[in-house]
Parts: sequence; C-alpha cells; structure tokens
Amino acid sequence: MQDENASTTSTPGTPPRVYLKGICKYFPGVIANENVDIEVLPGEIHALLGENGAGKSTLMNILTGIYQPDAGEIIIDGYSKQFASPIQAIAAGIGMVHQHFKLVQAFTVAENIHLGWDETPKRVSASVLEARTAELAKSFNLDVKPGARVSDLSTGEQQRVEILRVLSRRARILILDEPTAVLTPAEARELFRALREFVSHGNSVIFISHKLDEVLEISDRISILRQGRKIATEQAADCDPRKLAKLMVGRDIVLDDMRGRGAGAKPKSAESVLKVSGLSALGDNGLTALRDLNFSLRAGEILGVAGVAGNGQRELSQVLTGVRPASAGEIIIDGKPMAGMKAGDFAAAGIGHIPEDRLHSGLAPAMSIITNAVMREYAKPPVARGGFFSRDAAARLAREIAGAADVAIPDFAMPIRNLSGGNQQRLVARREMRIAERILVAAYPSRGLDVGAINTMLRYIVELRDAGAGVILISEELEELLNLSDRIAVLYEGRIMGILENDQLDIDEIGLMMGGRSRIRAGEAA
Amino acid sequence: MALRIQRMPSSTPMIALAARVVAVVLALLFTALILAMNGHAPLDLAGEVLSSSLFDDFGLQDLGVIFIPLMLTGLSVAIGQQIGTWNIGAEGQFYAGAFAAAAIGLFVPAPDWLSILMMVAGGFAAGALWILIPTLAKAYADVSELISTLVLNFVAALLVYYVATGPWHDRMTNSATPAIPAEIPELWGVIHWGFPFAILLAIVLSLVLSNTKWGYEVRLSGSNPSAAKYAGIPVRRHLITVMLLSGAVAGLAGMLEVAGTVHRLQGGISNNFGYIGIMVAVLARGSLVGVIFAGAFMAFIQNSGIILQTEGLTTSSVLAMTGLILFLTAIGEELSYYRITREKI
Amino acid sequence: MDLITGLLTTAFLAGGVLALAAIGEVLAERVGVVNLGVEGLMAMGAVTGIATVTATHSPSLGFLAALTIGAAFGAAFAFATVIVRANQVLCGLALTLMGTGLAQTIGRGYSGMPAVATFEPIVVPGLSEIPILGKALFSQNILLYLIYIILPVGLSYVMFYTRHGMNMRAVGENPAAADAAGISVRAIRFLYVTAGAALAGGAGGYLTLAFVPSWSDGVVAGRGWIAVALVIFAGYRPGMAALSGLLFGLITALGFVGQARGWPVAPAFLSMLPYLGTLAFIIVPVIAWKNMRRTMAAPAALGEPYYRNVR
Repeated sequence: MQDENASTTSTPGTPPRVYLKGICKYFPGVIANENVDIEVLPGEIHALLGENGAGKSTLMNILTGIYQPDAGEIIIDGYSKQFASPIQAIAAGIGMVHQHFKLVQAFTVAENIHLGWDETPKRVSASVLEARTAELAKSFNLDVKPGARVSDLSTGEQQRVEILRVLSRRARILILDEPTAVLTPAEARELFRALREFVSHGNSVIFISHKLDEVLEISDRISILRQGRKIATEQAADCDPRKLAKLMVGRDIVLDDMRGRGAGAKPKSAESVLKVSGLSALGDNGLTALRDLNFSLRAGEILGVAGVAGNGQRELSQVLTGVRPASAGEIIIDGKPMAGMKAGDFAAAGIGHIPEDRLHSGLAPAMSIITNAVMREYAKPPVARGGFFSRDAAARLAREIAGAADVAIPDFAMPIRNLSGGNQQRLVARREMRIAERILVAAYPSRGLDVGAINTMLRYIVELRDAGAGVILISEELEELLNLSDRIAVLYEGRIMGILENDQLDIDEIGLMMGGRSRIRAGEAA
Repeated sequence: MALRIQRMPSSTPMIALAARVVAVVLALLFTALILAMNGHAPLDLAGEVLSSSLFDDFGLQDLGVIFIPLMLTGLSVAIGQQIGTWNIGAEGQFYAGAFAAAAIGLFVPAPDWLSILMMVAGGFAAGALWILIPTLAKAYADVSELISTLVLNFVAALLVYYVATGPWHDRMTNSATPAIPAEIPELWGVIHWGFPFAILLAIVLSLVLSNTKWGYEVRLSGSNPSAAKYAGIPVRRHLITVMLLSGAVAGLAGMLEVAGTVHRLQGGISNNFGYIGIMVAVLARGSLVGVIFAGAFMAFIQNSGIILQTEGLTTSSVLAMTGLILFLTAIGEELSYYRITREKI
Repeated sequence: MDLITGLLTTAFLAGGVLALAAIGEVLAERVGVVNLGVEGLMAMGAVTGIATVTATHSPSLGFLAALTIGAAFGAAFAFATVIVRANQVLCGLALTLMGTGLAQTIGRGYSGMPAVATFEPIVVPGLSEIPILGKALFSQNILLYLIYIILPVGLSYVMFYTRHGMNMRAVGENPAAADAAGISVRAIRFLYVTAGAALAGGAGGYLTLAFVPSWSDGVVAGRGWIAVALVIFAGYRPGMAALSGLLFGLITALGFVGQARGWPVAPAFLSMLPYLGTLAFIIVPVIAWKNMRRTMAAPAALGEPYYRNVR
C-alpha cells in the first residue's frame, strides 16, 4: 500500500503544514481534548484514529474555526493563527467535509457550491452558477449535477458536492470526517484515488476514521486519540490492526467471531418466526423505499442486513415493527399475518426495536429516565393496572433496566438527555430486549458508541439469540455483520440483492451487491 | 483558575424558578422606575397596593375574583402545553364560554340549580367548539395552531359585543345583557363556588396526568411524538382530546365569569384574561398545579393595576408590564441552561 | 363602475397595512426567526406616528418615527432571540403584549383625534384617468407605491438574484451550513429581524397616517396577526406577500362597502370577515397546494435558535 505514496513522503526537516500544539477543549462534564499535539506534513495523508468520543471531530472543529480552543495554538505553515469563525479557517486554506453534510437541502448543487464565497458573482442566476459549477467539477474531476436539488441526491453524490465545495475554495488542507460511512467499497476506493491525487500536488489530507483497515490502507501516518488525549503518532507502515486497536482502546481487544453457540443456547428453529413476502413500502417522500422483499428469519438466528445507509434500512426497521405501514406484501410472525397492525400490536407480539436514531424515535430526551425506561411496558401490570399508572412500579422497573444495562444513574428523575450516548443506547437496548421475546430488530445499534459499549451491545444481541429470539441486525460495519450473522442480506435501493450464508464470504461480492451490481438469483429458502 | 460559561442540556427546576423570580423583580423595578419618573412615589404605591389587597377583606375578595379566570386560562394554556401546543386562543374560548352561559342562562327556562349545571356544560362545550377547527387543522393538516387559535379570539369578541349590544341587550344599559337569574352561590363575599371548583379541577387534572396510563401517553406524545408513535401511542387522538380539553377549560372560565362574578354578558367581559393566561402558564413552567400559584401572583398584579387606577395606571399599563415579565422570563429561561464552571488547572 | 373603483381604491389602501407588515415578516422568517410581535410593533408604530405628526405636522417624519420605533423594539427582540437565543414564540408574544399595552397607555391622549396631516394621494397625470383602474392604481399616496412596487420588487431581486440574498436565505434553511461556509448567521439574523420589525412599525404608522387615519385603542385590531398568517400563505415571498395583502384589502373593502350600503348583515359580522378569511388562508392552501409544497415551503430552520458551540 505504501509504495504508491512514494512521492508524498517528505524529506526530513520539512516544516509541517499544520501544527496543532497543546490543544485543550472542555464541554460540560467532558474533556473533549487535552493537550493534543499533532503535526501534518505537506503531501501527507494523516489519519486521526480513535473511538467514538475520543475527540477527533472536536479537534477538527477547532481547526476549522467552528470551536475555539480553551488552550493551545494552531500553527499553519509556520504562522500562529486564531480562527474566530469558519471563514478565517477557509481563508487559511483549510476545508472540511463533515460527517453530517453542511449542505442546504432546498438549494441546488450550484447554489451550495457558491454559498458564502466571495468569488460568487454579485448578481446570481441559475444558468451562470451552474455553468461555473460544471467548470469546477471538470477541473477537479468530480462528477456532480449542477442543477439538481441537493435533497434529491444520494448520500454519495452529496458527499461529492461537499468535496467540490471545499476544493473550489482552494483548500490545501482537506479534512474528511468518516467519509466512507456512506460509500460502497468501490466508491471508497475511488475516493482514495482522488485523495492520493490531491496530495501529490503537495497538499495535505487529514482523514478521521475509526476503521482500522481503512486507515492502514490510505494513510502515511496515523495519530491515535483516546479519551481526548493523543496517545501516539505512528508510521502506517509500522502498524497492524491489532496494534492500532490496542492503542485506540488501551487494552488488548479481540474482535470476536460470535457465531458459535454455547452449551445452553437454543438452536435455530425449523419453522420461521418471521416471514416476509412481496413486501413493499413507501418512504416519507411518497416514493417507494422498499421493493418486493422476500426473506424469512428463524428463531435463534441472526440475519444481518448490509448496505450503504439510505437504501431502505430505516424503512425496513420501521415496517417490521409496525411504525410504518406496508404498501404491499405480507409480514407473518409465528404464522400470524400482521396486516393492518400497528406498533403496539407488534410489540405485544414480542418484537423489540432498537431504532436507528434513538434520540428522535426511541427516547423522549426531555423526559425523565423513568418515563423513558417504561416506554414499552407502561400499559401492562405492574406499571399500569386498570387505567392507573403506578409511579412506584415504574421507578422499580427503571431501576431493573438500569441495573441490567449496568448504567449508574444518580437521579432517575432527571432528563435522559443528561446521560451519555452510550448509556442511553444501553438502556434502550435492555428495554427492548425485555419485550423482544420472538424478534429483535436492531438498526445500527453500535453507531456512536465506543468499542467497550459496542462489545456490550453485541453481547446483548448474542444473549437474545441464545435465548431463542430471532435477530435482524442492520449495520454499516461489515466486520460486525461478519462476526455475528448466520446469514447476510444486502439492501440496495430498497431491494434485496441477495442473501448469503455467512461462511467463507467474499467481501468483494457483498461490496458489489451494496453498489447495486450483481444479484444472486437463488435468494431465499423458506 | 479561569471561569467558563457552558450550556447544559437541561436546567434544574430550582434555577428555572430563580430565573422567573429575577425576571419578575426586574420588571417590577423597571415599572417602579417609570412611575417614579412620572412623579409618583413607588414605595407608597406598593404599600397602598399591599394594604388594599391583602389586609382588607374586600381587597382579598377582589383578588379572589380575578384569580378565577386567570388561573383557569393559565390552566387551559398549560394543558395545551402538555401535548406540545400553544393555545393562544384562550381569550376567544373564554368569550365562547361566556356566550354559551349567557344564552342558556337568559333563554332556557329551568330551575336555578339545573340552569347552573347546564351553563357549566355549555361553557365546556362552547370552549371546546371554539378550538375545534384549529385542532382539526393541526391534527390532520399540520397547520400551526398559533395563528388559527388567535384569529378566532377576535371573532369571538366581536360576536359577544354584537349580542350584548344588539339582540340581547338590556333596555336600560345598551352595552350589556339583563342580569342572568341563576347565580353561582357565593362562598365568601363576592367569591363564589367557582373558586374552589377551579382549584379542584387543576389538582384533579394534574393527578390524572401523572397517575394514569392516559396521562403517561399524553405527556410522552407532547414531549416527542415520534417516540410516542414508536411506542404505539395514538398521538393524533390524544392531540385532539387534549386540545379540546384545553379549549373547554377556557370556556369554563368564561362561564364562571358570567354566571358567578358579573352576572351578565357584556362587551369587554374578558380583561385580556386569555393572554395573561399565557403568562400564568409560562410562570408555572407548564405545571398544572403550578398555575394555581402563578395565577394567584398574576391576579395580584392585575388587581394592583385596578387599585392604582387613580394614580394613572390602567389595564393597558399592566398589560405592558405583563409583557415585560414574559420577555424577561423567556430570556431567563434560556439563561438558566448555562452554568459557570471552574477551569481545571 | 363607481362601486368597483371605490372598492379597488379601498382595497389598495386597506391592503397596504397588511402588505407592509407581511413583507417585513417575510424578511425575518426567511432568516429563520418567527416574530409573533408584529401586532405590538404595529401598535407602537401607530401611536408613534400619530404623536409625531401631531407635534411636527409632517406625516413623513411620522412615518420615519414609526419605522424607527419598530427598529428599536425589533432590535430588543433580535437581541433576545438571536443573541441570547430565548424561545421565539414567547419573546414574540411578550413583544405583542408590551407593544399593545404601551401604545394604549401613550395613545390615551390622542384617542379619536384625526391626524393633523396625512399622506395625500399623488395623482399621476394621464394614467389616473383610465376608467376603473386609474384612480385605484395611480391616484394613491406615495407610501402605497413604496409598499406595492418598490419594496416587493427590490427585495425579491435581492433575495433571489443576488449573492447576498442567497447567503441570507441559506441562514434560514440551514444555519449550520451557512456558518461553515463562512456566513455570519448572527449578523444576518439580527439585521433582517430588525429590518422586518421596522417595516412592521412602519405599517402601524401607515395605519394612523394614511389609512384610518387616527388613533384609537383597538386600531390595530389583529392586523399584525393577519400579516403573520399572510406570510405563510404567500410562500415566504415578498411579491406574493404584497399581493396577499391586497387580496385581504379587498375583503376588508367589501366589508366597508357592505356597511356603507346597508347590506342586511350586522356590521359586527362584516368585521369578522378578515379573521375568518385568515383562518381560511392558512388552512386551505395546505390542503390544496400539496404539490406546491416545495416552492411554498417554510425555511427549513424556521423557529430554531442556532447554537454553534454546543454539542
């Protein structure tokens, strides 16, 4: 991997393009960055590796002028700089492509490219802006549609718009925050090619990621952050995944293959606990989000669902739990058709749901921990009897769930948004596991969690599987799916491209299906 | 050692309360300043107000009588808040309730006790009816209730003005209806049984909200409708029920004013009660029991304005001061999320 | 024919109040801030206008004073909502109460008095002779040309055809994106909220200096609220806001005509027309314009305070 980067290794003594010196940043109750020292050389791809919450995004927000450091210096090309606002960072040649794109959805691509740019002509018309955009796209070799409305574009296309916007401001330091989360393996390779071309002109790239393999593939040097501090900076050539993982987490981490069953585990059932045929559903915008899905799930089995985010995963998890109605087809649970049933009925049928966006759908952030904990069982005894709601019983249930989730809670009456993301997710997971007697639908359960919390989450899922429930695990981390699933289905544009048994799988084949190419005919055995 | 100001995800009830107290104090000081600049002596006025309202039987009764509509409109707005809506139409629902009470009291022959019961039902129903269209528009078409509830205030006020000075007017006075025969019995002086009824209503509704399954569903729906839907709660149904309840309570306020206090229907029967009710609900931070105390406080403020009318203070000035309190409370509420922390070395 | 001319003339006159206030509110909402204080701002503008004209006998100064007082209160509102980031609905309601209460207190001395000097119609020679339309379009006071032509055309051009306008609209759609692109969200929001409030004050001044033209306790009569509703109806566009104001002026004019001609409907019910009309205006479009959702959509970040430095 390193050989292709021969032209980018700088000679000793080259001053760094970016020198972050002793950066500190604090938030309420959290040390986001503590004394971080990082140097980025010209012509280098420098990776920032760390778990979720390690402080990578915060550090970059400081470099781009969105946050101001509480202590420390930013030195660009030898000059100390202070960025009171993003425009000053942009003027210094720094551009960032954020994880959550900063694009105006209602505007066209051309309008977004020209936003806040002093080179935009004072008089603005669609044709002029689009022509300029087309020219820029050509010069940077990026494929975008100037006249398209951003909200109509796929996430991969939106990312290209973000990149073009940043490059056209003559950024010489390009920062990318977890860019491959929204790309297929093939698109990711294309991105890497573009990045190498970029640095070959003497520019620099800072690449934020938590994916070890990716970081080893693309970067020249890697800085590892842990709990807000910089632990080490290493040459990529000197590292392997195990070493990096250990630096990232601070202890030896073995990424388990969890597919094996222990002694007490319930075996996979013969009949399916869930059978889906011809299932279609509409998305929020009225267009078809799921097309003609056919698959089944057995008790004691984990079915992984792979695919780039935005291809129907959200709608799938909603349809399987009754939050969204199907527009066609059938869902049969334990032999019972679920047509016309709502969320409450699905829950009563023993289906739990860890939603993709816990703050939006799974929790009421402003309400107390107790209120949130009993959300699935508030209508049943002991919490409710007759029409009455017992605050004491609710508090007891909340304590039980918090205990099972191993979350220390100082005050159960406080709003749940005061808890960390990891704690919130653990509470939601255990809450759902209590009612998931037959099926658990888990959508991106490890998103936003650190490695420790992820391991816990995955263990919960295995626990549930061994107790005899079927699990549908939707995830964007292929490694996670490979370590847990018995079978893997690939979702692309609302269709199942294929369902594969998870033994000796070819990653490239999955990658192709994720990108919409190749389809396995023999998809499903009932 | 440096001090930093940070915004927390939640504020605590204590700090929020303190912020409100500070807001009120600042507004009062400002008013005192204005009065002083206009040649009055604020401390003397304050003394006059306190002795007239708190240390005098008639004063206390006046306070009590103003308390009823203010507390109830505050309750109405607070109820709307439980499901996440702003009922700015409490003023109009008040008028609607007053209208219904007068219609029943003047034109439906019945023994007094029955008449009063029918008026109560009529007040509730009219208030709910008056918020019906905005409710349906919000529930089925997602039309914001802010303006839809508000414009109906003007319609209701015009309607009441029309009947009170037109078809129903008393031949003696051209601006009001004849006296309504059935009167809510008096409890103490001019304070009638509506007073304990209103307080009881607030307490009962508060208990229902925190101790029933329905109450849990309503609170969750108001806080995060997406999460409520995901939990299988019929959010739309609750939205409609609670908004109608909010209207009904404001309608009750109007009915009690007509049948208990004024005993006739007249053009300006509401003294901005619906709008001040918003202040009451905000002071109480949405708590259904809190509106009892907030209502008492705002009643005191309103009453002071009436007492000081001889000194040149009018209901308009009190309205302006109420606005200032609301403004400072809104700022204070936001500031109460900030904490000053010490930097570690 | 006389009737139609009279109707149109009154429509333009009556609509001017709403159009000006609505255009102002468009500016505020386009940068993401809901200002529910328009009613109070109009009241303050109205009383300031009448007070100034009584003192100076110059309606122009009166109008200017109305604009200024609107800007002053608007700046206070902007400080609370943009800098402190307090709840916009509450601050707006507070502004309405404060403005209405204060104006009524100040206005006691001017109640019922007609303005000593008003904006006289400017008769455009030739054009105003056109039958039916001539008098209505070309024989109006100067403010109406400002309200129906200069402001809508000028502001539309700036908002949709200039770089600044694009940046400004981005603030209302996605302040985080605008911030990251180097646009000062706070400055733009503060500027346009204050400017919008100034126009609302001006609309109040117009009320007492050109339309009624006198002050009374209830002179604003909810027009501020109607203006806020019209913004939604107009799809957040200045040109459409002016037209919506005109449409409303027509409804009001019909009410006047009805009263004058002794139609068998009680005046109180005719007075209800504008409010019921507003209700229809905000409900019907949502149902009828389902396809036009995109063009008429509210700025995506409307009503949300923007925090940059908070997780």
